[in-house]
Amino acid sequence: MTSGRPSPLLDFIPFQRGWEPIRVVAFASAVLLVAAGLGLTGYSAQLERTDRAAQAEAQARILAASVSGDLAFDDEHGARDYLNALLVNPAIEAAAVYDSGGRLFAQSTRPDQTAPAEGLTQRTVFDGAHLIVAEPVAQSGVALGTVYLRTAVEPAGRRLARYAGVALLAALAALVIFVLTAAHGALSRANQSLEDRAADLAAANEALTREMEERAKAEEALRQGQKMEALGKLTGGVAHDFNNLLMVASGGLEMLDRTENPERRRKLRDGIREAVDRGARLTRQLLAFSRRSPLNAVAVDLGQRLDAIRMLLDQSLREDISVRIVRPPDLWPVEIDPGEFDVALLNIAVNARDAMPRGGEIRITARNLPAVEEDGLSGDFVELTVTDQGEGIAPEVVAQVFEPFFTTKAVGQGTGLGLSQVYGFVRSSGGRASIASELGKGATVTLLFPRAVGLQPRAETATARPIQPLPEGKDRRILLVDDDDSVATAVGAMLEELGYRVVRAIDAESALTRLQQDRGFDIVLSDMVMPGEMGGIDLAREIARRHKGLPVVLSTGYSDAAAIALRERVRLLAKPYRLETLAMELDAAVAENDQKRDGSE
Amino acid sequence: MFRDLDTRRYGKPSWTRPKGTGVAILAVMLALPAAPSSAVAAPSLEYAIKAAYLYKLAAFVNWPPSSFESASSPLRICVIGDDPFKTVLDQAVNGVSVAGRPVQISRYDAAQPNMACQIAYVAGSPAQSRADALKALKGAPVLTVTDQGRGADPAGEEGVVNFVLTDNRVRFDIDQHQAVEDHLALSGKLLSLAVEVRR
Repeated sequence: MTSGRPSPLLDFIPFQRGWEPIRVVAFASAVLLVAAGLGLTGYSAQLERTDRAAQAEAQARILAASVSGDLAFDDEHGARDYLNALLVNPAIEAAAVYDSGGRLFAQSTRPDQTAPAEGLTQRTVFDGAHLIVAEPVAQSGVALGTVYLRTAVEPAGRRLARYAGVALLAALAALVIFVLTAAHGALSRANQSLEDRAADLAAANEALTREMEERAKAEEALRQGQKMEALGKLTGGVAHDFNNLLMVASGGLEMLDRTENPERRRKLRDGIREAVDRGARLTRQLLAFSRRSPLNAVAVDLGQRLDAIRMLLDQSLREDISVRIVRPPDLWPVEIDPGEFDVALLNIAVNARDAMPRGGEIRITARNLPAVEEDGLSGDFVELTVTDQGEGIAPEVVAQVFEPFFTTKAVGQGTGLGLSQVYGFVRSSGGRASIASELGKGATVTLLFPRAVGLQPRAETATARPIQPLPEGKDRRILLVDDDDSVATAVGAMLEELGYRVVRAIDAESALTRLQQDRGFDIVLSDMVMPGEMGGIDLAREIARRHKGLPVVLSTGYSDAAAIALRERVRLLAKPYRLETLAMELDAAVAENDQKRDGSE
Repeated sequence: MFRDLDTRRYGKPSWTRPKGTGVAILAVMLALPAAPSSAVAAPSLEYAIKAAYLYKLAAFVNWPPSSFESASSPLRICVIGDDPFKTVLDQAVNGVSVAGRPVQISRYDAAQPNMACQIAYVAGSPAQSRADALKALKGAPVLTVTDQGRGADPAGEEGVVNFVLTDNRVRFDIDQHQAVEDHLALSGKLLSLAVEVRR
């Protein structure tokens, strides 16, 4: 039962918590009922006595009236006839008549009963189980004597039987109350258990939701961890590659100083140029790859994406493994998170690599799959298959390879998260991932991505556009804001080459001061990340506020900063940039600004 | 038993002897508080009982209202002729009232037609015989009482209530016919107690 019960007496009624008042009321009702029954019994007993008394008195009065003549004129026999007649009533034990002197005149009694020897004054009394009534006998006001009647009040057995009947009724009523309240209690208990079950269900649901949230967080963390792991794998190769690029650049520069042969100098410049371009692409990929961001689906041209991450794959795989990409030119765009896609492809490729210890080819094939209707999918899809020439996967484990932490690799060689990331990414992109394999015949991972309708993929990279000749600086005055002296020198040289007149400021504050003093600038080119309170974005905002109409172009090597700049609608140059990119961006900024000013005027 | 009572009350007309035997013996000893407990042994005791009966009779008789001067007028018991009661009658009625009326005793030598009496014990005297006295009272609302049972009087005159001695006990017969003539209403109880009732 419950704690804080009102009385252990009530424990026989089963009740749940919260039903104490009802239990108390039920018990009180039962007690009240029994008390009322007893009271009623007592009252009816009292009424009975009163009735009996009245009855006996009436009988005594009738007797007194009847025997007045007999008493007046000494007819004892006549009086006794009346008395005998009274004894027909079984309740009457004794009846007697006394003369006016109180002497017994006539009596009639049951065996073993006697009437008093002397007459009594008028009265009605209960004497134990007897009711005694004395009435005067008078005729026309002449007192002739008294009569005496003694009756048994009520046979004890009959009285007990009647009390028992009432008590039984009260007990029955109490029993009914108890049964009803018990039934009520059972009902409420059932309701309670129902509520409890509902509450349990709600709690279970909540726990499940919480678990799902935690799992989502854990998966997010794992994905990030997986990304970092893949990045770690890349690092060695990237460092090696960078060293190679730097070798090409530094060697090329040295050779430039040592040769006057124009043909040879051109080749050297091209080599340096190519090395620098490769380095730039590589860092951009790495930045995109390491960016910590949620699934950020955008419309992507898978073909271009594949081309773009080819180098990433090359860095991650061994030299004895070749990657072949087969794709039609008219591949539909798909809506995916490019970063996740890179990781997924890298994960598949790494698995393929590990499945081919003696080298081989990884073939990546993309194609459009119109009007797919299977397995809950419907509509147009783009299919991507990655096929290796490795050992294949045993049939019994094929179904498990997408499960988290499933790995066939030795401890310390893999987390078992790679393909599960692939699975999760594809599912969250609205597609499907599957794997088919036969032992000894390699494996094929198939990814399906839904076609992105109404979205055009944006250009992957602002690759060099072969536009000649370069837009001239036309002697414009440019304020170059950069804290790095070498960068400022290089960029300043590029700007002067383009025909700009360059003034340099080392940070945002000095740039603003300079602009305040000298209003003759046509454009501002600023680095985004600088020491001091203000960065490039803040500077651009401040210039837009103070010097309306002065175009600003920002440059940065960080992809995160680039996103902010795009949001602020500020023109951005991604470092490193080439001369023509710089020329076109600056020219476009001035032109846009002129256009805006013309439009507003 | 009640059927017996009914029979006695509503018995055959004319002189009828009640069937019941309940009234056969009267306990004389119950008549007066001071009365001896044995049966009638001496004239004085007999008359003490009769004296008590005289006023008790009044309780069982209804007189026409005109026979009283007022509602509080006394009930008068007249002894006409030679008085056999002496003082016992006065003692018997001392402090007694019937239907709220005090009882008064008067003594006369002779009866007059318009005597102011409700009960007249007619004994007769040298001046006026019992029969003459009864004749004088006929028709008047007076309950006449005599000591002479039916047929005892040579002249054949009787009172409404006539005491008789039966088995040494004082009892009475009743001339109901005369009572009606005299505009007296006798209680059924009284009639049922009579040895004989003349209808």
